[in-house]
Amino acid sequence: MSRFEALLDAFFYRPDEDVGGLLDFAAGSDDLAQPLLEEEPVEYLAFRLEAECYAVPILSVREICKVPLLTEIPRAEPQLLGVMNLRGELLPVYDVKLRLRLSEVPPLVAGPDAGLPPRAARILVLKTDDGPAGVWVDSVAGVVRLKPSMVELSPAGLRGDRDCVAGLGRKGSQLYILLDPEQALSP
Amino acid sequence: MTPGGKALAEFVAEATEILDALGRDLLALDEARGQEADPEHINGIFRAAHSLKGLSGLFGQERISQLAHAAEDLLDRLRLGRLTLDDQVLDTLVDALDTFQALLGEASRTEEGADLSQRTRDMEDRMARLGSPPPAVEEDPLERLELDATVRAVFTEYEEHRLRENVRRGVALWRVRAAFDLTDFDQGLADLNARLKPLGEVISTLPSSRPGGSTGIAFDLIFGAKVAAHALEAALRGTPAELAPLAVRPPVEGSPGPAFDMPPPPSGREETDAELLLAADTDEEEPDEGSAPPGGSTSLATVPVTPVGSPPRMRAVAPPSTVVGLQAAASAPIPAGRPKVEETSLRSLTQTVRVDIGRLDGLINMVGELLLIKANLQRLAETSRQDGTVALSKLFGQELSRETRQLERKLEALQEGLLEARMVPVGQVFDKLARLVRKIAREAGKEIDFVSSGGEVELDKLIVEELSDPLMHLIRNAIDHGAEGPEARLSAGKPRRAVVRLRAEQKGNHVVISVSDDGSGIDEVRVREVALSRGLVTPSQVSEMTRRELLNLIFLPGFSTRSSVSSLSGRGVGLDVVKNNLGNLSGIIDVWSERGKGTAFHLTLPVTLAIVRALVVGVSGRTYAVPLNSVLEILSVQPRDIRTVERREVLDLRGQTLPFLRLGRLFHLPEREVNRHFVVVVGLAQQRLGIAVDELFGQQDIVTKPLGGRLSRVKGISGATDLGNRRTVLVLDVAELLEEGIAQERRRA
Repeated sequence: MSRFEALLDAFFYRPDEDVGGLLDFAAGSDDLAQPLLEEEPVEYLAFRLEAECYAVPILSVREICKVPLLTEIPRAEPQLLGVMNLRGELLPVYDVKLRLRLSEVPPLVAGPDAGLPPRAARILVLKTDDGPAGVWVDSVAGVVRLKPSMVELSPAGLRGDRDCVAGLGRKGSQLYILLDPEQALSP
Repeated sequence: MTPGGKALAEFVAEATEILDALGRDLLALDEARGQEADPEHINGIFRAAHSLKGLSGLFGQERISQLAHAAEDLLDRLRLGRLTLDDQVLDTLVDALDTFQALLGEASRTEEGADLSQRTRDMEDRMARLGSPPPAVEEDPLERLELDATVRAVFTEYEEHRLRENVRRGVALWRVRAAFDLTDFDQGLADLNARLKPLGEVISTLPSSRPGGSTGIAFDLIFGAKVAAHALEAALRGTPAELAPLAVRPPVEGSPGPAFDMPPPPSGREETDAELLLAADTDEEEPDEGSAPPGGSTSLATVPVTPVGSPPRMRAVAPPSTVVGLQAAASAPIPAGRPKVEETSLRSLTQTVRVDIGRLDGLINMVGELLLIKANLQRLAETSRQDGTVALSKLFGQELSRETRQLERKLEALQEGLLEARMVPVGQVFDKLARLVRKIAREAGKEIDFVSSGGEVELDKLIVEELSDPLMHLIRNAIDHGAEGPEARLSAGKPRRAVVRLRAEQKGNHVVISVSDDGSGIDEVRVREVALSRGLVTPSQVSEMTRRELLNLIFLPGFSTRSSVSSLSGRGVGLDVVKNNLGNLSGIIDVWSERGKGTAFHLTLPVTLAIVRALVVGVSGRTYAVPLNSVLEILSVQPRDIRTVERREVLDLRGQTLPFLRLGRLFHLPEREVNRHFVVVVGLAQQRLGIAVDELFGQQDIVTKPLGGRLSRVKGISGATDLGNRRTVLVLDVAELLEEGIAQERRRA
């Protein structure tokens, strides 16, 4: 496949692409039978890690980019996948699956032995107190608006010893695990 | 940044500069403690306090402005000789500088702490209370100077004071008369002043009575010379200046006889002119203002009037007309009184532009990107040149590569210029430290002579900034732990005062800064005990350590040789922090010490971090960059050349054993079978290490970007760079790798 084909391919909608989040979003806006309570909905960016659907507050997301060449950092902690160069800016890229216990070993995505990243994979650039940081996601699902009443604060210690799950959001039949970016990326 | 924030930043920058200047003059005064103070320095401090008052008033910095006002008052009294510069005054001024700095610190954070406000008020009171008048003199020395009273009448109080001082000290006084063309007299006068300055003190500049020709103007400069007459003559050769000595009577009572023939006493008409001149001169402090009625022919008796508060002196006996007829302004050719050279132009005195270092960083980054584009162009040119099938393409390729070479040269010049712009002399930090030494020594009860040299050596601004804290810590250590008290020194047969030296020296691509003292040295036995008792090393490790390795234990975290924590050095920050800070600058620290002779810390630092030439190497398919400034040589080594000494790999390099580190193994990379290694021999200061890599790709100029806060704990990597084609390449931290190599050597036991 030539480079241009690849670019076009990435640009156009593919039938196999997961746009569930977008559909959900559309479904939510159609739903007029909402309680009269004047709740401000909060926008979240939903994404997939393995088979689960996660979301982070959209205000904490700076941008979404395709997976660039990652440079591995020798002797770094396992969840640090490497560094990437985003328009001249140097950003660390993290894997949160280890912390969420979705996988046992960090994926081999940086360095000369890494294969091509899956087509749907993206890097979310999150704003954190320690500066911007990239997070590997398997695919981006879309933006979802959740009202506070739709969010259930997660019982303490739901997952892992460090509590990086802030709560659970429910919209229709879809469940969103709300991630606390600061906690998820803390060393 | 908000407009208010920007204005504040401006204020802080400006005020910092003023305080720096003030500090320099204060330091010079301090160094000359006990000697006659150089009026230039007192004046400098006075001016600085004055500017600070104006500036802080402008920016609504009440506290600084008031303290500056108090300081200005004190300095004015000092400058006019109403106060003598004794230790008490000097200490007050030094404390005031500290207070100013603290105030500025709070101002920059837009805080206003109550503690500091109180301290400021105390400081103001303290300054106001200082005021022992200088010892009364028997006779005003000025009376001994054979100088026309009309001339004396036009002196400002300050000039009079300076003249008095010079007479009192028996300085040879000269009248330097020079005529200039009206069109460029300011330049001529400035030139004359510049020539005279190093030879003594220009006390006053007066328009001369002698007309300087139809389009000219002549000046009389009253000059106190530090050098002999012939030296003065030699220095003034080529200028229109004429020299004449001003006679001074010996300080005996009652012999007012003139020594030379005198010119006719000034006529009444001339005196009237002198009065007019006085009236025009209102911006100066004029104690005599209006004291003589205009047109009066008796002005000789009415001037000078002793200003209130000035030292008592006998003023009645104005010498009866004098030798050197310094007739003031007989025919003053310019209406505005005495011209002040510095006011002839509004252009600023400096050619300097203050630039935020962040902007320079931006430009440097831009150059980095340009260098990448250039590299791509070069590659293009190369391929089309070799693609010889089409004649046209070949020609085009040659043309292109020629232009690219031009571009390369210009880029290099641009890069060099930018790097130069970032360079500042380390003396900036040295001056600040010199002031600290005084304070620390006083607190510690030590007598210290502080000697600094090499302040002119230049380093990148960022490095200089980062250096101040580590250096301060080392100097604190030297005074607090290194230097002994005066008594202990005397009994050890050393001079009473300890010497602390701060020295900078350029060595190739690096700058070596050393902090040394001639104190008691480091007790390595004690170091060993402490390291063992804190569990920093094991007995078996210690038993094999050389003296130098033992000394290096002081850099381990959690080490402090003093059991009692002193308020100075023991502030919870140890030498390990110093070492870390230096590591962040890609520098290393080394210690030398001899019992009873002293201790020296040597800091080896790169000149700049902004753009460096790097060697691009490959290990297990990864690419890394090694800054060339620490690469000594590159060897090609067969696996059989690698030896092991006590299970550690070493190389034999011309009879010397070289520690050998496989980068791939250190970084836990999958190892590949190779039939030869390239060994990059790196070195900083005395340490050497061979780093084995698989491939060499060549050299390239790189702009290193730091890995950022999240990744600052990563060891062995100082940053990352871009080698074009959007590939990010890590830059090795040679200092840290050396460290690890040495540490491995230590661990072998």
